[in-house]
Amino acid sequence: MPLQPFGKSLALTLGVELELQLVNTVDYNLTSSSNDLLELLSRKPFPGTVTPEMTQSMIEIATGIHAEHAPLLAQLREMRKTLITACDRLNIDLAGGGTHPFQRWSEQRVFNKPRYQEISQLYGYLAKQFTVFGQHVHIGCASGDDALFLLHSLSRYVPHFIALSASSPFFQGVDTMFDSARLNSVFAFPLSGRAPFTLSWDDFAHGYFTKMEATGVVKSMKDFYWDIRPKPEYGTIELRVCDTPLTVERAAALACYLQAICRRLLERVEHAPEEDDYLVYTFNRFQACRFGLDGTMVDPRTRESRTIREDILATLRAVEAHGAVLQCLPALEEIERCAARDGNHASHLRRIFDETRNVQSMVQESTRALRVGPRR
Amino acid sequence: MALGYSPPMFGTAAASALETLTPLVGWPLMLLAAWLAGEAVYKHWQVPRVCAYGVVGLVLGGAGLSQGFAPREALGFMANVALSLTLFELGYRVNPRWFRHNPWVLAAGIAQSLLTFGAVFWVAGQFGVKLDHRLVLAALCVATSPAAVMRVTHELHSAGQVTERLFHLCALNCLIAVLLLKLVVGYWHLETSGDLGKAAFNSIYVIGLSLVVGGVFGIVAPILNKLATSSQATTVTFAITVLLLSGVAQALSLSPLLAALAFGAVARERRILLSHAQRNFGALGDVLAVFLFVFVGSLLSWSGLLPNLLLGAAVLIARSASHTVVNLGLARISGTTFRKGALTGLALMPMSAFALLLLEESRSYGFDLARESLPVIVGLLVLLEVLGPLATQRSLMLAHEAHPEEGR
Repeated sequence: MPLQPFGKSLALTLGVELELQLVNTVDYNLTSSSNDLLELLSRKPFPGTVTPEMTQSMIEIATGIHAEHAPLLAQLREMRKTLITACDRLNIDLAGGGTHPFQRWSEQRVFNKPRYQEISQLYGYLAKQFTVFGQHVHIGCASGDDALFLLHSLSRYVPHFIALSASSPFFQGVDTMFDSARLNSVFAFPLSGRAPFTLSWDDFAHGYFTKMEATGVVKSMKDFYWDIRPKPEYGTIELRVCDTPLTVERAAALACYLQAICRRLLERVEHAPEEDDYLVYTFNRFQACRFGLDGTMVDPRTRESRTIREDILATLRAVEAHGAVLQCLPALEEIERCAARDGNHASHLRRIFDETRNVQSMVQESTRALRVGPRR
Repeated sequence: MALGYSPPMFGTAAASALETLTPLVGWPLMLLAAWLAGEAVYKHWQVPRVCAYGVVGLVLGGAGLSQGFAPREALGFMANVALSLTLFELGYRVNPRWFRHNPWVLAAGIAQSLLTFGAVFWVAGQFGVKLDHRLVLAALCVATSPAAVMRVTHELHSAGQVTERLFHLCALNCLIAVLLLKLVVGYWHLETSGDLGKAAFNSIYVIGLSLVVGGVFGIVAPILNKLATSSQATTVTFAITVLLLSGVAQALSLSPLLAALAFGAVARERRILLSHAQRNFGALGDVLAVFLFVFVGSLLSWSGLLPNLLLGAAVLIARSASHTVVNLGLARISGTTFRKGALTGLALMPMSAFALLLLEESRSYGFDLARESLPVIVGLLVLLEVLGPLATQRSLMLAHEAHPEEGR
């Protein structure tokens, strides 16, 4: 089946998807309870969308389409409230975070849904190691060409989003030394990484995708696990590198930071993207995963290197005017606090671990942070 | 006499050979047989291992293999410790805040306990059981065996609403059963001795102080545990403190079972997030579970069984019907489906170990009625040795809460 035409959406609108952890209230391990939770939630209208995910200890929530920060955040908070009320009634708890710090993937129950069963069959242990939790941000694009332009222009900013959202320092009970261990699980999939370089939707759809489909390797865009991928049915591009942060406030801020960057990119004041931008891509991405905001990133054009933190703070200054137009200045302030002062949630979780020397306390703090914000 | 030492059913020659062997070899052999039987039934038919332990205890105990090894008190103490470990685990598993967020779960627990008490009391009346015995029987039937519940859920790695409710309702049932039995004991003391003081003393003192002692352990043990260097060490700390608690409770004529439950609950509340002991105390828990179920099985004797089998079956139906009706009725309003509500009700079936040890406990503190009541309940307990854990296991499987990888 050929790729469908690129759908219509309003440029720079946005939507957020969050994958959340369901944990028990005893030892904060993951609990296979999404069936129970979804059944209870189905009784009343949900302020957004909630769907099952790969394993039963995970659910995904999605906002509607928004143009501004305030209504986006309001909807995320409303969904959080509904979810937490339902979880309390079922004696389960809810947490953000890109990985569960000590779950053993071999104990997860795969959700009974044909596609997931199929993935589980195909990927074996990778499918269960994929019990990781990400935030996806959709940005509306006026056309397929715009989508590919943004997709490739954003490659330079991917490390920002990895470092800012990183909240998965521990995996399978050990400190991975990474700020985002989650992405290491994603990279294990054969079709992960970056999209091929083309700026023309026609070339992408009728060239690359048609050839890939003919090989039988992929059936739809869903089979690609790229860091940023076009979503023709929505008319959006989808940024998929973010860990689910510990708070919905951080999630909304990340989405609006992306929105502001996209607005600036669409003015086409920077050089047009080119294949050589990707020379440093995997290096920068590794730095962001491993060291977070302290990581080094190399600018593919100037070949200068500086810390990701510095690059974010510089970018914030560059997009401030756009943020004002988009009415997302509070989001940019949250990003600045994160980059300049508080650090990302991975460093917050590590601090908790250093205090308590206990992996469970990190999950306990995650559940608390989702409800009322991180402990100061 | 159900609790008495029934004579060996073998021929005299075999019996004399056994006499020389059994004192030392009898118990270990029974445990080994039970363990192997448990593995076999689980592997071939996916039947809970504890069913096999109980049956082996019942059969070999009935054959007289369990006699003469150690004094009954010693075995009873060990069984109490085994059950106390389970109750500690259950107490740790229970989240009191859930009752605040979802009072319907608490309501279900209270309603089903009272309904069970009433239903069993009535059914036993239909069989012409004496009033005193009916009261004891009805109070005991309120309990759900934490040992069977914990072993089966552990075996299945189950998670979900049926599992969650099973833990919380099991704890409530045990607590209410103890309360009701103490009331019955108090009533009995009042009737027989007319001594209101002794009656009140027996009920309030025992319950209150058991909870307090358990609570104190719950505060002290986590402090001791700070010395533990690994999760294995944590397991040992808690196992030994449970052992100590059982001793203290028995020495003070308290209820070790109630104390262990309180210990677990307080340890959970007081935890400054200590690393969790291994689930069900690891291999130690496995060994003690084999012992507990074999011991309980061996306590039940064949004599007096047949006449009471019909009564047992009737009580079993009344009890399970009460559980199911209440949990079905409150399913939607408490946040789950009718299907899961009904399955929760069925899963609450096991009761042998807790009820029997509770009865033993009362007996050792001078409640003569306990001895007399046993024949009335033995039919039920024998039936439940197998049916109880099986019902729990099948309910969890039907609720899709069992871990699919287990047993592959």
